[in-house]
Amino acid sequence: MGWLQEIKLYIFLFLFAFPCLGNTDFRTFTTSSGQGFTGKVVSYDGQIFWFQGKDKNLYPIPFKQMSANDQKYLIDAASGKKIPKGDARKLLVTGKNTTEGSPPVPTENEAKEETDVSVTPKPKAKQEFRPGSFFAYKPVGLGQDPSLAVESVSVLPEAGEPIDFTKHVLPIMEDRCFSCHNAPYDKNGRTIHPKAGLRLDTHEWVMKGNLDDIVVEAGNVADSYLYEVVTLDEDDDMFMPPKGGPLSPEQIDVLKRWIEEGAKPSAGGDGTADMSKGISFHDHIFPLIEEKCLDCHSEPYVKNGRTIHPKAGLRLDTYESVIKGNLDGIIVEKGNAEESTLYAVVTLDEDDPEIMPPKGEPLTEDEIKMLKQWIEEGAKENPTDTFEKPKVENVVLQPATGDKKESIIDLLSKRLNSPSKPQIQAAQKSGALVSLLSTKHSMLRAEFSSGPNLIKDDAIGALTGIKNNISHLDLSRTSITDNVLSEVKKFNNLTWLNLKNTQVTDRGIQNIVKLPYLSYLNLVSSKVTDQCIDSLAKMKNLKEVYFWNSEVTENGVKRLRTALPDSKILF
Amino acid sequence: MKTDMFKLDELNRREFVASAAKACLGVGLMPMAGSYIHNSVSALTPGSRPAKARYVIYLNMTGAMSHLDTFGTNPDAPDIQGPTKSIATSADGVFLSENLPETAKHMHNAAIIKTMSTSQGAHEQASYLMHTSYLKRGTIAHPTFGSWVSKLSGSINTTIPMNVQIGANPAGAGFLESKHGPLPIGNPSAGLANSKAADYLDESRFGGRLALAQKMNASYLNQYDQKQVRAYSDLYKDAIKLMRSEDLKAFDITQEPEQMHELYGKSNFGQGCLLARRLVENQVRYVEVSRGGWDTHDNNFEAVAENCMDIDKALSALLLDLEMRGLLKETMVVLTSEFGRTPKINPRDGRDHWPYGFTAFLAGGGIKGGTVYGKMDKVGRNPEEGKFVDPASLNATIAHSLGLPLNDVQYSPSGRPFTVAHEGSPLFDVLA
Repeated sequence: MGWLQEIKLYIFLFLFAFPCLGNTDFRTFTTSSGQGFTGKVVSYDGQIFWFQGKDKNLYPIPFKQMSANDQKYLIDAASGKKIPKGDARKLLVTGKNTTEGSPPVPTENEAKEETDVSVTPKPKAKQEFRPGSFFAYKPVGLGQDPSLAVESVSVLPEAGEPIDFTKHVLPIMEDRCFSCHNAPYDKNGRTIHPKAGLRLDTHEWVMKGNLDDIVVEAGNVADSYLYEVVTLDEDDDMFMPPKGGPLSPEQIDVLKRWIEEGAKPSAGGDGTADMSKGISFHDHIFPLIEEKCLDCHSEPYVKNGRTIHPKAGLRLDTYESVIKGNLDGIIVEKGNAEESTLYAVVTLDEDDPEIMPPKGEPLTEDEIKMLKQWIEEGAKENPTDTFEKPKVENVVLQPATGDKKESIIDLLSKRLNSPSKPQIQAAQKSGALVSLLSTKHSMLRAEFSSGPNLIKDDAIGALTGIKNNISHLDLSRTSITDNVLSEVKKFNNLTWLNLKNTQVTDRGIQNIVKLPYLSYLNLVSSKVTDQCIDSLAKMKNLKEVYFWNSEVTENGVKRLRTALPDSKILF
Repeated sequence: MKTDMFKLDELNRREFVASAAKACLGVGLMPMAGSYIHNSVSALTPGSRPAKARYVIYLNMTGAMSHLDTFGTNPDAPDIQGPTKSIATSADGVFLSENLPETAKHMHNAAIIKTMSTSQGAHEQASYLMHTSYLKRGTIAHPTFGSWVSKLSGSINTTIPMNVQIGANPAGAGFLESKHGPLPIGNPSAGLANSKAADYLDESRFGGRLALAQKMNASYLNQYDQKQVRAYSDLYKDAIKLMRSEDLKAFDITQEPEQMHELYGKSNFGQGCLLARRLVENQVRYVEVSRGGWDTHDNNFEAVAENCMDIDKALSALLLDLEMRGLLKETMVVLTSEFGRTPKINPRDGRDHWPYGFTAFLAGGGIKGGTVYGKMDKVGRNPEEGKFVDPASLNATIAHSLGLPLNDVQYSPSGRPFTVAHEGSPLFDVLA
């Protein structure tokens, strides 16, 4: 509304002080659509002509809307300098200062000047940007939360306070060095490497120096090149930083004291974790992840022209991605290490195919303890963040659905490599049909469908080469015996087993009790009796069991239903 | 014609020979149609998720089932409902007609789409659209859905065909290779017709005859070494394999105990469902069982009640049997017809053709049990909830559960592109 009042004021001034602007007469204009309008033209501004009506109000009308005759008139008026150039509302004000009532017939230059004067831009308001926004114009390290980067203003140590790398030194680096000496990043498809091969983004890198030499000699300021370059003469070629002026004396002092004090990392900066104040993701967990997990679980990168995606679609390179998990769900259950996949996979037996990391040494006990503590504390980014332990409710278990089972096999699929074509072909020699569950799945279904009566116990041998990949095994209608199941028990990742119409007995069932993921078991028309119930009752992952037309009685089924209350058991 | 197609389920000998020749020998109106081989086909489920269903039993109610008196009752609209009452089912808030008391006990495993609609109001064209997802045209024969299943999904049991049609036989493999067309079975109790060697033909004489046939074919085969020519001799091999196969027993429902026959009902349709279950147990991918007698222009309510006694028994038996055998989870059972019947009851106490808001019943593998999609308004013309679902989308829904690639393009001999469910998209509301 402010501008409207302004206009009214201008018009007011105009009416009393300067009854007219320009040198034209009242006439009737018509628009191209035939509407009539009586007034006089007072100025033009680009394609807009300003008219003053008999009511003394100003009207802007686009040139194009005028009829052909009027257009001609307007062109004459403008080229004949009868009307000034510019916004009539503004010209009225300037008119007051400059032309003192005489009807202005300005030359083109004058008109321009007038316009220029009249449109004096307001002094630009100091721009304040949201922290972390693109315009904040602060280089942000890769994988770093932009808001953190902006907030980490360099903090000067209090007198007598020992220098802390993360708290005092890193902010200086971030402010003044990161724009050249940061982790390599991708710009317009090109990888931008740190200048002089020197990275200053972590303590480790600072201490590493570059190919020439180290840049920090702990305890020795005089031999530390890092200190030297910031204290050179400002016109020296090697003076750092090359742009933006020298570091402040306080900042130089911080660097000096840090080196003198031994150039130590922050407490807990490199695994020598100070955990007394709680576990922090950045100080404790991330260094561990960096060492053990980032080979496979970092952001996608390009190698030999191919994009290498993180395995299992899981990234662990930032706090957010760790918390986010992957398509299968979260991997960190805050406050509950036992339920957290991240914790589970590193605590598996060493010979378990799913143990993480798959190569190299498993995590040490201390590291596992630290990870556990971190999760139990709420998997916080900073120890000071608050975390409320979720209240333990009586969890109502869902009845068996396809989803749960699938999430298990999808998870298994992501942990395993797909078998090669020759492997699958070799497995099919036994007469089995072996197929991937889907094109992007690494789990297999093996079934003996064609001429099953010819399939004997030895057929299973061909499958053992790919046993970890087999999640579905269909032995129904074959001539197998219990002996096969002593092989089947080694198929660790089996989730679905069909023994329908076979000679399998209770003795065979004992073999498969330890299969950890088995959720579907079909014993229709087999020879099992109530004696297998006790074995099956131990299999807590069983979701569906089919006994129809076997020797199992109602009594046995009742017992199994008590042991596995959430499972579908049909007989 | 009408009576042939929609009242009789069983094929006579002449019809059987004609359709078997079409299906097995590729002898149809377009002899060149099977020749284009597309090799980009993946037998695998595309993407990272395994298929939810592996087998389909498609129960086709030919002649157009009265949806209002079966799966699509509308208790809020007594005007159009006539004397048919609704009953509660095993799924909360889902109602079926009183004609289907046994099926009602399985509703927790099933979903109903209540807003099916089709653009065709005549039996043959509508049935064609339901089966192929494409409109019937004079210029091309589209493959049926079962043929698509056979084409796009690898066979599991290689000795028996993947696509079996029990009862009336509306269409075949179209432009796809003829081996993907349905194997027709006229009378389920008789099993696979003409699949036994003649009594007088012992093994050695049979072998001699085959050798002679091959000898006579040899020069021709050498001269025209083409896929299509080879397909004829492949067919012999397949036939012989089938004749000697144990799997042939899959077609023999006499091996089922008497109680099973009783459970399904002794009608043709009941026995057809029993055979369908046997086939699925032997890993046949797609079985269609059709049942006629639904064209109830006259005396609708009595006729529907009578038909329902048959299908209710067979359908509930099928669902129970599959469940007991642990097969229901991977078998999708679909029951639908080419269109529905008018909400308005005509003066002869019948219902006429009505392509709006008919129903599709889907149960088992991949289906979100106990769901109803959509609701028709009180006059049965437009959806009150949900949107109309066209035949292509129903087929897309089934295809999605089977993990078929909906965008896999197959070309007709003239180079025109076709996909399994045309432009249909899966109705995820009914999928688990």
